[in-house]
This record gives sequence, C-alpha cells and structure tokens, in this order.
Amino acid sequence: MNQRSLIAKTVFYLFIATMIIAILVPFFLFLSTSVYSEYEVYEFPRKFIPRTSFDLKIDWVDDKYDFSVFSREMDDYELLIQTDDLDKLRRFLKRNLSVQKTNEEIDRDFSISKNGEPLYLTYKKDLLYNYKTFFSITNKAGKAVVNSVIAAGWTILISLFFGSLAGYAIARYKFKGREQLSLILLVVRMFPAVAIAIPMLVYLLKMNFDNTMIGLAIVYSVGNIALTAWITSSIFSGINVELEEASYVFGATKLQTFIKITLPLAVPGLIACSMYAFLAAWNDSITALILSNNNPTLSLVIYKAIGSSSAIQLSAAGAVILIMPALVFTFIIKNYINQLWGEVKL
Amino acid sequence: MKNKFRKWTPYFLLTPALLYYLFFWIRPVFNAFIGSMTDFDGSFSLRFFIEVFKEPMFSAAFRNSVLFALISVLLQFSIAFMMALLLNKKFKGVNLLLFIALIPMAVPPAAVAILWKTGFSTFGWLNNILITLHIIKTPILWMTAQGFNALLFLILIDTWTVLPSVMIILLAGLQNLNKEYEEAGLIFGATKWQVTKDIVMPILKPTIITAVILRMIAAIQVWMISVMMFGYGRVPFLVERIAYYTDVVPMLDESYKMSLTYSVIVTVIVMLSVVLYLRASKKSKKEVEI
Repeated sequence: MNQRSLIAKTVFYLFIATMIIAILVPFFLFLSTSVYSEYEVYEFPRKFIPRTSFDLKIDWVDDKYDFSVFSREMDDYELLIQTDDLDKLRRFLKRNLSVQKTNEEIDRDFSISKNGEPLYLTYKKDLLYNYKTFFSITNKAGKAVVNSVIAAGWTILISLFFGSLAGYAIARYKFKGREQLSLILLVVRMFPAVAIAIPMLVYLLKMNFDNTMIGLAIVYSVGNIALTAWITSSIFSGINVELEEASYVFGATKLQTFIKITLPLAVPGLIACSMYAFLAAWNDSITALILSNNNPTLSLVIYKAIGSSSAIQLSAAGAVILIMPALVFTFIIKNYINQLWGEVKL
Repeated sequence: MKNKFRKWTPYFLLTPALLYYLFFWIRPVFNAFIGSMTDFDGSFSLRFFIEVFKEPMFSAAFRNSVLFALISVLLQFSIAFMMALLLNKKFKGVNLLLFIALIPMAVPPAAVAILWKTGFSTFGWLNNILITLHIIKTPILWMTAQGFNALLFLILIDTWTVLPSVMIILLAGLQNLNKEYEEAGLIFGATKWQVTKDIVMPILKPTIITAVILRMIAAIQVWMISVMMFGYGRVPFLVERIAYYTDVVPMLDESYKMSLTYSVIVTVIVMLSVVLYLRASKKSKKEVEI
C-alpha cells in the first residue's frame, strides 16, 4: 500500500512537471528568440540562453580587418567578414549582431589591431534591438499600438454603458421576457464575429467609419455587451438590496443611491468587464482585417509581418509586445474567468 | 403611479442594449442572409452559394473545419479531464500551477502563431532541442507538412493554447463537487473508474457541456494559425476563406459576395452548435440562467 501511494505520488508530480515544462519551455524559448540577433538565429545547434555580448577577434591582414566572432558551438572564433569599410562594419554589427556602435567608436577600437597583434574585445548586444527595429521597419507599428488602445477604449465605453444598464435590470427587476433575454445574450455571445463584421462593412462605408477604430469597436461590442450584462448582473445581485433601501430611507433619490452606493460596490466587477472588453479588442484580427485593413491594429500588423518579413526574431519581438497587456489583464481577471464560461466558481 | 413606473423601469434600462442589438447585430446579419441570396441587381439567386459549393477549396475548408473541431475538442476534452481529475486534490503549489496554466490562455492568437513559428522553423528551437538531445541528426522540415499532417499540427498548437483553460473549467467544476457522493460510491464497493463514470461525470455534465460546446464554436472559426503557419490555401478553413477573400482578392463586389456567403455558412454551422448546446443543457436539467 505504501509503495503504491509512492508510485501514485511520483506519477502525480511527473505529470505536473510535464505540464509545467510543456507550457514554460516553448514560452521561454519564444521570449529568447525575440532578443536574438540575426547571427544567433542561424547558429545551429545553438545555446538557448541568448547572448548579452559578443567576444570579437579583430585581425589586421592585407589592409583589411578580419572580423571574427566567438562561436560557442565551435568553441573557436568564426570569421564573418573582411573589410576596411567602417560603414560596412557598423551595419554588419548592427544587423547581424544587434550591436550599436558609431563609426568613430569602431575606428578607435579596431585600429589598435593595426600594430600586428590580433585584438580581442567584447561588445555588448543591444537586447532591445529587435523591439526598436520592429517599430522602425514596420512603419505602421507605432500607429497600430495607438489604434489598438483606442479601439479597446471605445469597446470598453460602449460595452460598459449598454451592458451594465441591462445587467442592472436583470439583477434587480422581475419582468416579462427575462428568460428570453438571457437566451439572446447567450446566443449573441456565441455569434461568430466575422458574420457581423462583413455585413457591417457596408454600413461603415456609408457612415465613413471604415478604417476607423470606432467602427471596429461597434463590432467588438456586440459580444461584449452581452458579457458585460452577464457579469454585472451577477455583481448587482450580489449587492445587498437593503443597502439601497437604507439609502432611500435617508432621503436619497434613486439616482443618488445608484451613484453613491451601488456603483462603488460594483467597481471591481466593472473593471473586470473593462478588461474583458480590452482583451476582445486587443486580441482580434479577423474583424480588423475586414473593417480596417488600411489602418491596422497591432494584432493585424503582427499577422501581416509574418508574411512579409523573413526575420522571425522581429516578428517575435512584435508578438511579445502584443502579449504583454493581454498577459497582465488575464491574470487580473482570472477570478472572473469562470463567469465567462458559465457559473462555476474556482 | 409609482408602481407603474417601477414596472417600466427594467424595459427602460434594457432599451439601449436592445436598440444596439437591433442596429448592429440583427440588421447586419439579416442583410448578410439577404445579400448572400441575391444577385448584384437584387433579384433572388442562389448563384453565390453554388459558386461557393463549386469551389474546390470549399469542400477542403469544410472538411478541415469539421475535422479540426471534432478532433481538437475530443483531444482537448479528454486530456483536460484527466488532468483535472489528477489535479483535483489539495497539494502544495496548486496556485502556482494554475498561474502557469493561465499563460497560454493569455497569448493572443497572432502571437501564438509566431511563438510556434519560432519553434517549428528549420533552425527553430524545436529542432535545436531535438539535436541537442541527440534525437535527430539533421533538422526536420516541419513547415513542409501537407494535408492531414498539417491539420494535426495545427490541432496540437491549438491544444497547447486552450488545454489549460479547459482544464481549469473542469477543475473548478470538480472542486465544487460534493465529496460525499464519491465517498458513498466507494463505500458501496464501486471502483474509482465506476465512481468517475457514474457519479462524477453526470454531476459535472453542465460544466462539461459548457466547456465542450464553447470550445467547438471557437474551433469552427479557426483560421489564423493556419494562415500564419502555412499561408493561405495549404490548410483551408471556412473562416480562412473569408480572410482570403478579404485579404488576398481585391475587394470587388464578387469577392465581397463570396465572403458574405461564407460568413452565412459559418453562422449557420455555429448556430446549429448553439442549438445543440441548449438542447443538451436543457436535458441535463440546468436552466440557462443569469
């Protein structure tokens, strides 16, 4: 029996370990790809921890610099380029090794090797090089971040306004058609966004809202209003009606009570709703592709980057930027995740 | 007087949302249906449905979408359920584990595709790991996968992304479960498997149905990982066709009608799944309540 439970325990922890490895290893290796230099991407087989600096060897041979990098795989210096052109060296350092140096710095450092002895030196890698480059070569990337935030902002505003009013009604009143309403909200939650986006294109073109963020937000909000109503109704029903009644006793009006008593209590839930709305807008790309192809959001830019550029490390940098807010918000709202899926509580 | 006012308050509060849905949901979707069933001059015609059905890519897209939905949901559910059963006990670090499990869920689809592209490219980290571990000698060309292999590939990527979330939902359901039922079963001599099959599964049914159907709806609409991993047309899906007609074919009336028709087809399939869901959840006697 004791042995059996030991085996069971071992299996259990092996299982957990497998799960953690399966999640974290791809994620970590992806993150490290985003800080690789071009040279490291094609090192094969390579070490998985990205370099922070390069060990260089400079030889002055035949009036040219022999430029070598220490390869961890070969355990020796690998000759990469032979030139005396400082511009060429600077560009090579930047593009292939993610090392940012000026011509003067290169000239000052390298010319020491002219005395005949090979020169060994270490250059620090610019770890954020891919991130900066992603924004400078993808000319729409900066604008796209702003676009994504604006689209998300509109989605939050629209969903909160329409959704929380409906949520309050569902939580506080018994009325005819309440069950049918629940059904409608469920169906709309599940409705494919593309099926709204394509016909909406006609209306948005008519209203000159094509390629605008408000146009996108209108479509994103369709599903999100239902979700907001869903979440807020459960929040409002969790707020004690007696509190509101006490407020009336002291002579407050309905509106005053709502603003001073009910709303503050609902704030955490409303924040969660906002984050869901944010994520819906931030993560989407099919709606943006249909409605705002010429004025893309970040998600769309990253989707397009993979087709155009062969430099995977740049796309990876873009993707990391896309992930960051999504990751933060998902962790904040994790307690509400089950409301998204049903009424199970964790 | 006051009572009358109170009677109307909920409708007053609901009007904005209902109007919103009338204008931005019912109206466009209604027009999509009409648009897909009319010719350019507005006369009734099933021309575009016929054109869609005739497209060689359509049958492939339909088959792939259905296969993807069925296989991925089945795979994800069974693994997630086993994981949830295994993890359904109090142990040290359960919160940390749930924290880690949330990571793949939080990665937006566009980033998921790039994450795996960094792994599956010829000099990507997967080949690097395999060579470092001496499992292979030369890099495997993952990205040249064709047909069913390519589809399977996408299913695995999708599984990495959503498996933790399915697991968390089921785990939550299990943890709400009254332990006494299980214990009673065990006392009466049932095996662990019998308890799981005859006691845990039936009680958990609403949770299971919710998880499965919602996954299915999402799976039917898959497109992005396919396009980002393999480009358009290698592993076509229904929504991938819509993206194709929007992104690749210049936005002409013809291509607009084609994407409109595809969107109607996707809607019908998804809504059929919803009906299925509602039927099934009604059977399990749990009302859809807010």
